[in-house]
Amino acid sequence: MAQFPPPDFVQTDSAIVGIEVYMPAPEPDIAPQGVVDFKCPQCGATTAYSVADGGICCEHCGYYESPTREVVGKGAQEFEFKVETLERAAVGWGAQRKELVCENCQAHTSIPVEMLTYTCPFCGSNKVIQRDAAQDVLRPRFLIPFQVTLEGCQVVARQWLGSSWMVPKDLQRLAHVTDFVPIYLPFWTFDAVTTADWRAQVAHTVTERYRSGGEWKTRTRTVWRWESGNVRRLFDDLLIAGTERLSRVLIDRLIHFDLTHLTPYDPNYLAGIRAQAYDVSLEPAWAEARDAMREDTRRACRAQASNSRMRNFTMNLDFAEETWRYVLLPVYVGLFTYANQTFQVMVNGQTAAIAGQRPVDWTKVWLAIGGLLAPGVILGIIGLVTAILGIGVIIGVIGLVLFVIGAIIAFFIYQKAEGMDDV
Amino acid sequence: MSEHVLPQTELEAWGTDVQVVVCETCDWRFVLPAETSLPRCPHCFGTELELLSGEVSELPYVAPPEQAVPFAVSEAQLTGGIETFAKGIPLPPKDLNPAALRARLQAIYLPRWWVDAEVAALWQAEVGFDYEVVSHQERYSDTVGGWQARKVHEGRVRWEPRAGRLRRTYENVMAPALEAEKALRAQFGDYDVTRARPYHVDMVRRAPVRLPDRVPAVAWADAEMALRRRAGDECRQAAKGDHIREYRWQPAYPKRNWTLLLLPAYTTYYLDDEQRPQPVLIHGQTGRVIGMRKASLKRAQRIALILGLMALIIFVLSSISLLAVAVAPPLLVLGGIGLLVGMVLGLSALAPLIVVWRFNRPRRRPQER
Repeated sequence: MAQFPPPDFVQTDSAIVGIEVYMPAPEPDIAPQGVVDFKCPQCGATTAYSVADGGICCEHCGYYESPTREVVGKGAQEFEFKVETLERAAVGWGAQRKELVCENCQAHTSIPVEMLTYTCPFCGSNKVIQRDAAQDVLRPRFLIPFQVTLEGCQVVARQWLGSSWMVPKDLQRLAHVTDFVPIYLPFWTFDAVTTADWRAQVAHTVTERYRSGGEWKTRTRTVWRWESGNVRRLFDDLLIAGTERLSRVLIDRLIHFDLTHLTPYDPNYLAGIRAQAYDVSLEPAWAEARDAMREDTRRACRAQASNSRMRNFTMNLDFAEETWRYVLLPVYVGLFTYANQTFQVMVNGQTAAIAGQRPVDWTKVWLAIGGLLAPGVILGIIGLVTAILGIGVIIGVIGLVLFVIGAIIAFFIYQKAEGMDDV
Repeated sequence: MSEHVLPQTELEAWGTDVQVVVCETCDWRFVLPAETSLPRCPHCFGTELELLSGEVSELPYVAPPEQAVPFAVSEAQLTGGIETFAKGIPLPPKDLNPAALRARLQAIYLPRWWVDAEVAALWQAEVGFDYEVVSHQERYSDTVGGWQARKVHEGRVRWEPRAGRLRRTYENVMAPALEAEKALRAQFGDYDVTRARPYHVDMVRRAPVRLPDRVPAVAWADAEMALRRRAGDECRQAAKGDHIREYRWQPAYPKRNWTLLLLPAYTTYYLDDEQRPQPVLIHGQTGRVIGMRKASLKRAQRIALILGLMALIIFVLSSISLLAVAVAPPLLVLGGIGLLVGMVLGLSALAPLIVVWRFNRPRRRPQER
């Protein structure tokens, strides 16, 4: 013990008189409770996070402050499912609203508890509200900063509007895209290892010869044989949305974030950007993740069998090394109107992946489906005539094949068109 | 520590006149009331004890003990333990019987160092905190038609570094005062020292007190280890942890005080084939008996000899009968049977020797009964 107390140790409570106890100094509280007001230290104007510059900027005097946090990526701290954490997470944020008094203009405002940021409607000042979570780990600890600018987002949206032949021809020209709103959405990430033992009766086809009516014949029959195996699956950072306030269909389409860019939470990243706390608490989100993990494991088990036809399939599955994180991820939310209808669009603020509703030009879709089915139908009719006339059945067979292929493609086109305005 | 050399006046503190005696055979030293006649050594039972007069001041410790664990074995327990010890030995030595063992029973006190120490130390360790996590085990069955989930709670330990400073006084830290204590404890089991009572003169009147053969300077290493364990556990409590590991400390001992704790035991013995006393030791609190249980090879040899002689006689008589077959043919049957019986008897003469050899072979070390 060259040095006492060791470097970075601080004294803590001792339960026994005569014994002093020192522990490693806790990390400085990243998010102290309260409201962080963003004002320019040079001119006093309101500052906000600039995606293009990657830091806090003042539009008035050009003041710039770069973020102090370094990217930790997938090394971002993960937490275990402690009994205590689960119990406290279940409490949620409650239903009350938070009363805020703007330090700038003294205006009183009441805001919902799930909002983590706020811009005063009277003076325009930006605030980051750091909630008193039920447990420290339930505060947002990591986020991915916005990497796609608002302008970039508009370009992506315009391209996307004209990227499908199923949408009306004039959609790109006539659609009125409102401003996209950057928002940090709450997500849970889950890690786990699943180990499963499975057992099933798998179908094996056996060909056998038998004698009937004085001659040898061949028949096939199914023999059910017991097979078993085990599977180990590793799940790393399975993302589950922590909110139900936005379309889950759209969120799931753009959920592919690159978590190697995770950065420790810093209120600076949230300045002037909306941010929402979770409204789907840890346990239901974990139940959803578990559901996905076990189905994946079940598929892996079934894939091990020598044949996909099986019966009496059973498996025992153990979860291990389960951990979670609560993160904020960047998303742009926008709307566009077309033919007096409003459609939702979301853009991944990191990768610029886009998902949204689009109007469908059903005339085009039905024409395309008709065009796909027509060759098969026509050849089928000709084939029927040639068959009746005794010329041959080959045309009919080709017609049938073309009809089946056309019907399959048409089905997928219809499905896609049907899903284009899903929310 | 200045307690290595003690004045002879320490003897007076026993509350009665005492004498220090020694066994010339095994070198065990005892304190006895002065009026007691010198008995045989309660350890080796080889010779009578001799008075140690001039060298008392050179002994490491002759002061009266601080506390003693009282004898707590009932007469019935003692008798039962001895009977169990003597039971089940094939061809035991004549002297190995409950009555003889019981008659020679003698109570003694065995010493153990009791150290009080003031400790000042810097310490460092990893302290473990218990916590529970929720995990899941699930079962899927086609026949049941879905998943059945079970929530399980798993205990885990979170290890965190801690350091600190300690200034505490530890009382009654134990260290062996006898060289043989560790071996003895391994066979005998330990004592419940929480039942110890302050020393009273009746204790030395009841039983001879064995004096330490390990001086405090030698026993200190054990005491320090015990102190370290106790300090480590207290540091864990101070840090509000559930476990501790990698405990390191830099201790200083401003004050140390050595006293003795007495542990009750009974000794007795039996004489083996060579008329050597075989000591038997009985735990004075639990009644557990340890000692070498030996079968008598001499008795086995005697029986084997008798059986062998009988076999030889039968063999000779049978041989004569067979030789006389020409004269009296019916002797053929008698001779044949006799020859067979003689052979069987001859072979069975080996049995006592084998049984005794087998019994004594794995029981070379003292056995607990």
